[in-house]
Amino acid sequence: MERTSRFSAALIFVAPLAVLVVLWAVLVPALGVRPQIFPSVAAVGRAGIDSILDGSLLRHVAASVSRVAIGTVLAVLVAVPLGILMGVSRGVSAFVTPLMRFFSVLAGIAWIPIATLWFGYGFGAIVFVIFNAVFFVVAYNTLLGVSTIPMTLRHAAASLGAGRRSMLTDVLLPGALPNIVTGIRTGLGFAWRGLIAAEMIATDVGLGYMLFVARDFYQTEVIVLGMIVIGTLWLLIDRLLLVPLERATIERWGLVSP
Amino acid sequence: MNALLPLWSFVVRTSVKWPVLRTLAPFVPVVALWWAVAAWGPFPPAFFPSPPDVWTKFVTLMEKGILPEYLGDSVGRLAIGAAVGIGLGVPLGLWVGLSKGAHRALWPVLLFFQAIGDIAWLPILIIWFGFGLTTMTFVIVYTVLFPVILNTVLGVRSVRIELHRAAQSLGAPPWRILTEVVVPGALPNIMTGLRNGLGYGWRALIAAEMIVGTSGIGFLMFDARRAGSVTEIVLGMIVLGILWYIVDAWILAPIEQATGRRWGLVTQ
Amino acid sequence: MKSLSLKNLAKTYFDAYKGEHVTAIRDVSLEVPAGEFVSIVGPSGCGKSTILNMVAGFIPHSGGDILVGGEAVKGPGPDRGVVFQSFALFPWKTVLDNVGFGPKMRGVPKAERDAIAREYLALAGLSHAADRYPNELSGGMQQRVGVVRALANQPDVLLMDEPFASVDAQTRMTLQDELSRIWEERRPTVVFITHDVPEAVFLANRVVVLSKGKVLAEVDVPISRPRVWDRLVADDQFKDLSNQVLALVRSA
Repeated sequence: MERTSRFSAALIFVAPLAVLVVLWAVLVPALGVRPQIFPSVAAVGRAGIDSILDGSLLRHVAASVSRVAIGTVLAVLVAVPLGILMGVSRGVSAFVTPLMRFFSVLAGIAWIPIATLWFGYGFGAIVFVIFNAVFFVVAYNTLLGVSTIPMTLRHAAASLGAGRRSMLTDVLLPGALPNIVTGIRTGLGFAWRGLIAAEMIATDVGLGYMLFVARDFYQTEVIVLGMIVIGTLWLLIDRLLLVPLERATIERWGLVSP
Repeated sequence: MNALLPLWSFVVRTSVKWPVLRTLAPFVPVVALWWAVAAWGPFPPAFFPSPPDVWTKFVTLMEKGILPEYLGDSVGRLAIGAAVGIGLGVPLGLWVGLSKGAHRALWPVLLFFQAIGDIAWLPILIIWFGFGLTTMTFVIVYTVLFPVILNTVLGVRSVRIELHRAAQSLGAPPWRILTEVVVPGALPNIMTGLRNGLGYGWRALIAAEMIVGTSGIGFLMFDARRAGSVTEIVLGMIVLGILWYIVDAWILAPIEQATGRRWGLVTQ
Repeated sequence: MKSLSLKNLAKTYFDAYKGEHVTAIRDVSLEVPAGEFVSIVGPSGCGKSTILNMVAGFIPHSGGDILVGGEAVKGPGPDRGVVFQSFALFPWKTVLDNVGFGPKMRGVPKAERDAIAREYLALAGLSHAADRYPNELSGGMQQRVGVVRALANQPDVLLMDEPFASVDAQTRMTLQDELSRIWEERRPTVVFITHDVPEAVFLANRVVVLSKGKVLAEVDVPISRPRVWDRLVADDQFKDLSNQVLALVRSA
């Protein structure tokens, strides 16, 4: 029962996109668009099959995804404890809030030039840019989350005998979780864009690079393929990872993240 | 201890009088630390410039008129992005939010195109329009547009049906319901969308200026990268940070909060 | 159960904006013997919540002593259970885990603390709600959980800060009936803060009227127990005592 309704929901979601593909298949030949301007469906399909068969698509996707994963995991591991530490004291959080805001404004793309100077072109610079994009946003949101936990909850825990450790695991961490998840979602959004930009500039493998090189040869079918892959990957990350996480915690607890 | 109380009281009173100071104060130790690291640290100045280096560079670029010109270019592009994004996004969002059919047909398409992300459009845009203003304008409008549309839709759909019914029973014709009920009801979400959109748009603009630009702060930074001038890069980052901080913290966030809080609506 | 005694308790703090010291509690002495129920009433701003926060250890006191069972208190601790006006239930924990939180902090194993929590939930007729999250319950239900959570930790003194102020009138009377019954069963030492005079009289053995940071008067409540609203609404002794306390609060 549930499976069929899920299936039909997915079908309803995919149908408009299928219509779009049909329109594309009809319009491109009908209007006589040159392949250097916009590719036909068949060309993109061929490019897709070719790049899967020769393994290049997988290589680019793996490079991009692993960079994002490494940068994000590192950033979250550092940012959450730091954010909690800063958020516990009213004084400290008031003091560092403008700093965190300033740096989260810069997060991601603005660091590309200096990152490439410090780390050279390649893996280091790109992971640094992603780390940065996620780190400040998550740290800022964690700080915000901790400082918005009602004081009475901390008092309640203390008067029930909670020590420092339980205060952290049972009150501060779950209390800040909605904001942490929001932070990760926003930060990943910045990181994903930063990744594509950085890969256009600073590497020789990855989805951004794949697109940018294709441009040199007017291979629009490869560009469009890359765009579709990028869009699909992000939708998958967002819908299958981030949105369910948000639902499982925030909605059940009746908490609203700002 | 007691001798410190008057001092503390002075600090509190001053910061209440000039809230700007509370924002600026935390940067003092950061700049001091930066200065100290640059002066004694292990990094060569070509790698890690000091605050005076950056200040001198700032003065030079101001005198030459390069910085004001580039800044104007970037801000102008952002303003165009904001204007077009609102002009197209809000009506589209209202339509998709109000019409069930439009929602069913367009929502997945909107989500997908938002997911592709501005910067991924750059290569094909360069093929279509070349390196230049059209490409950059397209990218920034594209970036601002989707968050505005998606949030407007959410806003429209969050307006309770009772409010529609109340307006109807008070004799409001459909277009008056739109202007008197739907738009104000969706406004907090629209502002949130605009704020998010401009946040993403700002970053996209920097990226576009780096990759295809011939002017703008992003171009300044990337040009400096080619010339190996770290000072100019750092200057560019600071200018970007300050500018966006002003736009976001002093213009967008207050507007967003004013609409949301005043009416007791919670924006998601 | 232990006694609570406040000796010349005082609270002053420094208002940095005005640049001067402000006195919130001037000089309060109060003896609450073990197993007694004391209500503190007074107009808003009289300092009643400040006293409770100091006894709970949430804010430091600036003069005098707070003794629980003869020992001075240092910061918040499980010997003093607190029930908050805003319930203060952990939104991310089920009702069962909220009630089992205190035992968990003492290192009681999961199975055992679940048993404790279920026993206390049954006491307040909440067994069916054990697996719900707080936000899925009504205000009255939430505060029942709040009371039960404090009790399940078996504190020496129970501190209640206007616990029923944010539930509707009907539910409030039910909760007062229930609290009265539970108190008779378990006889905890209770300090109950409220601005609702009938509530204070209904629940307490003794009502303390507070005004401008000082104790204005203490009124004994010798009404027989069990007390239920069905009986007390029309009770002359209850009415007289309520009017007496009300007059004191008005004069405060």
